[in-house]
Amino acid sequence: MTGASGGGAGGGGVGGGGVGRGGAGRGGAGRGGVGRGGVGRSGGPALPAGLRERVLSASLEARAAGRAWPLVPAITGAEAFTRAADAFDVLLGALREEDWARPALRELDVQGLVGHLTGVEEDMHRAIARDPEVAMASHVGSTQPAADRQAGRSVAQTHAEWRRAADRTIELVRGLGDPAAELAVHGMRLPVDFLLIARAFELWVHEIDIRRAVGLPPAVPDESTLTLMTSSVAGMLPLAAALTGVHEPTSVHLVLTGAGGGTWDLSIGSGSDGSAATIVTDAIGFCRLVGNRAAPDDLELYITGDSGRAARVLAAASALALD
Amino acid sequence: MVGSDALLAARLAAGDDHALTEVFDRLATAVYEGAIRVLGDEAAAQDVVQDVFVELWSRPGRYDPDAGPLRSYLVMRARHRAVDLIRSELRRVARQEHSYRLALQEPDPSPHDEVIVSEAAAAVRAAMGMLPESQRRIVELAYFGGLTCREAAKAAGIPEGTAKSRLRLALARLETVLDRQLLEPS
Repeated sequence: MTGASGGGAGGGGVGGGGVGRGGAGRGGAGRGGVGRGGVGRSGGPALPAGLRERVLSASLEARAAGRAWPLVPAITGAEAFTRAADAFDVLLGALREEDWARPALRELDVQGLVGHLTGVEEDMHRAIARDPEVAMASHVGSTQPAADRQAGRSVAQTHAEWRRAADRTIELVRGLGDPAAELAVHGMRLPVDFLLIARAFELWVHEIDIRRAVGLPPAVPDESTLTLMTSSVAGMLPLAAALTGVHEPTSVHLVLTGAGGGTWDLSIGSGSDGSAATIVTDAIGFCRLVGNRAAPDDLELYITGDSGRAARVLAAASALALD
Repeated sequence: MVGSDALLAARLAAGDDHALTEVFDRLATAVYEGAIRVLGDEAAAQDVVQDVFVELWSRPGRYDPDAGPLRSYLVMRARHRAVDLIRSELRRVARQEHSYRLALQEPDPSPHDEVIVSEAAAAVRAAMGMLPESQRRIVELAYFGGLTCREAAKAAGIPEGTAKSRLRLALARLETVLDRQLLEPS
């Protein structure tokens, strides 16, 4: 699962920093020296004065900065979780008996990892029931008994128990009625809809673990789910930086390309003497980085500006992963 | 896709406004030159530049990096847009002129219609009077004389390309003048 203690719902101002989806509340084409019109940069005649400002303003009016193209259908966190659970269910159904015994994560085999996820669902049920003990419980420690109890069980039992637990989560969330209601679990206090995005992210990350364990190619979530994931994790990057001691004030222009992509302007750290960096990478790779399933060196990165600070921010991204 | 047009295209699709600025700074002059070469008019060429960049930003997927460089794509879009603009203007002026002629042929116009037609005719006469002789002659032949552009060129004793160019400039000027005159409250 991704998340962090006391984190906000992916909005601005977390961890001493902030986030702005490009375009929201910005001065249109005002950045990057708009208004410098009149420079013939290709050696030809100068452009008419004001044309640059006019064209960039008209463009950003037609489509706000930060918004990926094409637009994908918006879904709720609950829907993203349901889809992720269905995809995970399909994967489990496709595994051979012997696959379940393969090492998957930490000391867990595939069956134990599925048990861990059953334990996470059970803690979600307790969170929805406002059980205070689960609020600060360890993500790994609290779910270990559920992982351990899979030993000696049939894989069908393990699979069915997890499916029932995931369905129960969906049912209980539906019963809550309010997607903004806050839940406290595993050191996080988040609106339920945002928490379900983190849970969809967790299911996808563990799907990567299982696929890797059994030699299957990695799967990619559908674009609507991926868009929710990238929006959430990009928004929490300032928090990840704060958690890992990256406090230097840095303006990060984060561009995630491909399916689920978008652009965000993030304020990392606080204080004066800030610097700026632009980070461009693909959205899926970035999600793997945040999920601690890839290192910055594994990504195809294009960095401009203060590359040192950009590297520290990227290294901090995996602090959001709870495994 | 290191530093390539493919990377720029991916950044544009991701809503990266810095990429838009970069593309504009790198290629706007070429786009403007492409437009002005076709239109011969600065104001219209600026409109084309705006249309081309707004389209690139609004629908970045229309550019396929595998099909060629971004520069070539944008200059081509500018030329196409400029040609579309000329066609559209020609159609509009032809429609205006046709309506004017029909109005003159209508039997027993009302006194109000007569005033309007008379004002329009005066506006057209005034606007024609503002054209250089070479341009006025080709408009008279092509629109009021009912000749094709080739026939008008032959009648005026000039190459067809020159006739088209003069016609284009004349129509652009007429449109501006007529719009201003006919839209002004009397």
